[in-house]
Amino acid sequence: MKFLHLVWKSLMRSKRRTFLILCTLILSVFLITILQSLLATLDAVSNKPTEGNRFVVRHKSGLTQFLPISYGEYLRQQPEVLAVANSQWFGGYYQDPKNFFANFANDETTMFQVFSDRISGLTEAEIKEYQRDRKGCIVGQILADKYGWKVGDTIPLTGTIFPMSPQLTIRGIFKGRMASEENTLYFHYKLLEEGVQFMKGKTGAFWIKTKTSDDIPRVANRIDTHFANSPVETMSEAENAFYLTFVKMLGNIGAIIHGVTIAVLIAITIVTVGTMSMAIKERTTEIAVLRAMGFSRARVLFLLMAEGLLLVTLGGALGIGLASLVAKILREILGSALIFLQDFRLANETILLCMGMALIIGFISTIIPALAATRRSIVEGLRAL
Amino acid sequence: MSQPTAPIIHIQSLAKSYFRETLEIPVLQGLDLDIPAGGFYALMGPSGSGKTTLLNLIAGIDRPTGGLLEVCGSNLNQLNDDELASWRNENIGFIFQNYNLIPVLNAFENIELPLLLTSLTRAQRKEKVEEVLSLVNLMDRRENYPRQLSGGQEQRVAIARAIVGNPKVLVADEPTGALDAKNADEILEMMQRLNEEFGKTILIVTHDPKAANCARHQVHLEKGILDKTVEVNR
Ligand SMILES: Nc1ncnc2c1ncn2[C@@H]1O[C@H](COP(=O)(O)OP(=O)(O)OP(=O)(O)O)[C@@H](O)[C@H]1O
Ligand SMILES: [Mg+2]
Repeated sequence: MKFLHLVWKSLMRSKRRTFLILCTLILSVFLITILQSLLATLDAVSNKPTEGNRFVVRHKSGLTQFLPISYGEYLRQQPEVLAVANSQWFGGYYQDPKNFFANFANDETTMFQVFSDRISGLTEAEIKEYQRDRKGCIVGQILADKYGWKVGDTIPLTGTIFPMSPQLTIRGIFKGRMASEENTLYFHYKLLEEGVQFMKGKTGAFWIKTKTSDDIPRVANRIDTHFANSPVETMSEAENAFYLTFVKMLGNIGAIIHGVTIAVLIAITIVTVGTMSMAIKERTTEIAVLRAMGFSRARVLFLLMAEGLLLVTLGGALGIGLASLVAKILREILGSALIFLQDFRLANETILLCMGMALIIGFISTIIPALAATRRSIVEGLRAL
Repeated sequence: MSQPTAPIIHIQSLAKSYFRETLEIPVLQGLDLDIPAGGFYALMGPSGSGKTTLLNLIAGIDRPTGGLLEVCGSNLNQLNDDELASWRNENIGFIFQNYNLIPVLNAFENIELPLLLTSLTRAQRKEKVEEVLSLVNLMDRRENYPRQLSGGQEQRVAIARAIVGNPKVLVADEPTGALDAKNADEILEMMQRLNEEFGKTILIVTHDPKAANCARHQVHLEKGILDKTVEVNR
């Protein structure tokens, strides 16, 4: 411990050089941490469990077209189907357009079957109360915490897609598996139908839960065939079809991110090796003087290694700190636009990985010049000027 | 001061050669020298005669090619590198021509360096450092960094660093070589005091006759062979 002071002062020998290499380290670790976390988050989002036996039926020509609610009749008749919930993205905001979050008009009864994996933590009584109150709504825990909402509060929702701004009473606060699931509000589908003339008898989508995921291709195909050549044709998609295309894309993103990571690692290793060898080489005489006064080779090696590792530890910690700050900002600012970013976090494994890489870089780039410096004879070192 | 009998430095047929590829370049050949404890010896001789080489061997920072080398009761040939390092820490104080202070440490911290290798506590180290700081008259410069000190002051810090661990032997390779006459005198006076009052055995290499006259004995090296030892009349 008494040598720490010496190590610190040696590191601060050239403040400008240390500052520059530190900035380089911080930026590199930051970049790698953010990219790797992005990859991990995308991976987690695209590997959500239990979404396998749910699919969506929507208008063939896109999300802005509506299906007749009467189609639900046929859907419910299919033997593989457990439950059908009509659902419409409402796109409202609370008080201010900045306060934007996911909000849907959903069938108030069947949604609890179709989305049982996404919504939990509500009591029977709360669900009953919600279903009874046409102007009731349920909100996710994170959303409730963010705005300080409690059960019983009335909240105004201003429509942006539909000419309707309902006053909703919170009847329950639910839990989800991820932040994006809890950042959501649901209200009665019938309220939308009653409030918006052109939505009467129409819905944006039907969410359908089947007995098994193997049923989906068959039943989806049957539904689309049934409505083919009718005035309103349907298009059925597995919920994770979106994620599946996503995962495929992720393969490429993953390769790119890993490529960038390796490139940054190589670059930073070269820069650190250069800096450390310079920092050690210019101390040749000093090292000889220390050894003359009794510092052993091992002791000098230890001091030099400590210096290199201290540098990369600082760079690594500050880089990761910066990354977690940026992750928080991304979550809070961009999370409302890109839903998956609400789950953007630095995983512990990512932090450990980045810190580990920083330490390895520090180790290699210091051990090489440090060994060379301590192998040199004292007399030679004293002569070098 | 009466001269003690047992030599603190005992050298017998000491040889040192450098090798350039297979070519042997002999620097010291069959050297015999005894220096008693408490002695003050000046090592003189033309450039390239092997003065620095001999000093480095005695101080245990270089290895001889042959011969016996006994310093402060240890046969240096029998110590491995780590043992030799802690032997140096205990027994030898170094003073260099270029002071060789660590530029990122202030005077106090430079002087404290050799003590970091001992088991002394922080408070004990502080006490010892302050003791030698006042001995070299630099108490008021303790916080200064080498670049804030004059050459003479730097060399005084170096002397303080050399003696803080209380070694028996001080070695100095042209300690006044980079100083003006006034500062050189001050350093030489200090070394005389260390020899006379504190009983340090001192070995200095010098070209300067004035510096050599501060010593009590002068040893002349000529082409790797000891020429003569003369006593100085002061
Ligand atoms: N590492 C080395 N390799 C080869 N030859 C060396 C080496 N070190 C010293 N020498 C040679 O050994 C001889 C003695 O060198 P040394 O430095 O001991 O001389 P010196 O008496 O101290 O000279 P000066 O008064 O110039 O300091 C010189 O001829 C020098 O060239
Ligand atoms: Mg010399």
